[in-house]
Amino acid sequence: MVSDIDFPINAPRMKNDEFLKSSARDFILNINADYRYMKIGYYVSLRAEVLGNKVIPPSSSAIDAYRIPILLLRASIAGIPTAPHLVTDSVNDITSEFNFPVVVFPVISFSHVNFKVAQTKSSLYRIVKSLSMNYRYPVCAQPFSGEIVSFKSVFGESDLKEAWELAEGFYEEFKVPICRLYAQKIENRLCLCGAGPMNIEELDSFDLRLISERIAMLSDDFG
Amino acid sequence: MILANIACFVETYNFSDKYEVSALNKFKLTAEEMGHALDFITKQDIRSIPKYDAVFIRATTDPLYTAYLVSKTAWELGLRVLDAPQSIQICSNKIHMYSLLERNKVPYIPTVFVAKDEMHHRLVRELFSLLGPILVLKAPYTSFSKYVEKVASETSFRQVAKKFFRRSDVLVVQKFMPTTFDWRVGVLNDEVLYVCKYKMRKGGWKHGAKLRGKHTFAWGKTYSLKREHAPERLKETALRACEAIGNGLYGVDIKEINGEYVVVEVNDNPSVYAGHEDYRDKDIYEKIIAYLVN
Repeated sequence: MVSDIDFPINAPRMKNDEFLKSSARDFILNINADYRYMKIGYYVSLRAEVLGNKVIPPSSSAIDAYRIPILLLRASIAGIPTAPHLVTDSVNDITSEFNFPVVVFPVISFSHVNFKVAQTKSSLYRIVKSLSMNYRYPVCAQPFSGEIVSFKSVFGESDLKEAWELAEGFYEEFKVPICRLYAQKIENRLCLCGAGPMNIEELDSFDLRLISERIAMLSDDFG
Repeated sequence: MILANIACFVETYNFSDKYEVSALNKFKLTAEEMGHALDFITKQDIRSIPKYDAVFIRATTDPLYTAYLVSKTAWELGLRVLDAPQSIQICSNKIHMYSLLERNKVPYIPTVFVAKDEMHHRLVRELFSLLGPILVLKAPYTSFSKYVEKVASETSFRQVAKKFFRRSDVLVVQKFMPTTFDWRVGVLNDEVLYVCKYKMRKGGWKHGAKLRGKHTFAWGKTYSLKREHAPERLKETALRACEAIGNGLYGVDIKEINGEYVVVEVNDNPSVYAGHEDYRDKDIYEKIIAYLVN
């Protein structure tokens, strides 16, 4: 297990920096709250793969899960409910596809998940200009159902009861152990619409206990 | 009857250089002569990807850029794609790329990775004593000679490292090995496609350099030679490097030092400018289109 997070476990454990210098050959469980591309959590998975190890999460999942259009594409192929969406930099394309209100996500996100809701065409112009970095990148637009919920996903278990199935499906597909998911309520069911990193401070004692249990289970499976 | 529909993903900057425009037109013309259709698509056309049989990416690739979205979307839909998302993931991150060269024992420039949390005075001193009085710092996301700087003191090392650590938690430190040119070997599907010499700019140490006070980049000259006339060991080194990465389209930069060949970088999405890379081997367009529709 490789992690800088402090919690009690019985499995062998290495710090992130220590692992990046090592040549450990084993099944690697990479427990970090942030797996974004080029962050230390990403490099731990990458190092494990280069050494020929099986690793959770795979580095490619760490890239794909936080890129909303790819998240939605892979999720829909895997049968996870997703909101309809359009990737474009054109306001006219968005308005011809969806009615207002529309929620817009950036496709390039250097920080945590960020979205804005447009109620009118003029606000949509402003939002697309801002989230596309002045039309340098496209945006991901979705019809806004009225509520976006955010919840923790720890090894596919959620702190929000109605999101259990979604969190489980997400973990099955992407194998990202710790992250924050975003979903829209559409016709009384949750549809995945985003994923992002978590702050370590968000992990409470229940989460840490769950992580310890899962590590013990996975260590038995692969040990 | 059209045999295959190919989408070529471009951004507006792909049309700013007349030699690149000419090369793009040659791709289109060649595809049509071979019985296929080739459409240029942009970020507005991502939803049209499913209607194509293959996607050829010419815009700059990086997992954070639109080109990766296009590549991944096409790949998930089962389309033939150059560059494949796996190639983009590897070549756009030099930590990933050098790690694979190391694992496959491909000779490359002496390199050390430095993580943000291990930066301290002693480590910097050790790096200078290990790699020499001048070091090259590379951000993992470097492309087109950008985000590559040389440093000769701890102060400048720290300044450059601080800048590169803003986006990446790990960076690349390399030995400074100046040469008057780098070899560029174009490889497609484990075969050498073209061979060029990329000359450094006069008085410079990189092929491309930003002009003082301007936003534009200027490039050193390119000399092309027929692939069968290129040194065999050069081509073998390039093929070994690509074997470590994948079987797509790559541009391998290689330095020749005292008769030895060492890999500088393996790039996905290598530049193809009319009159440069294609000057001696005119069939590169045909070979790339054939790969896409095979």
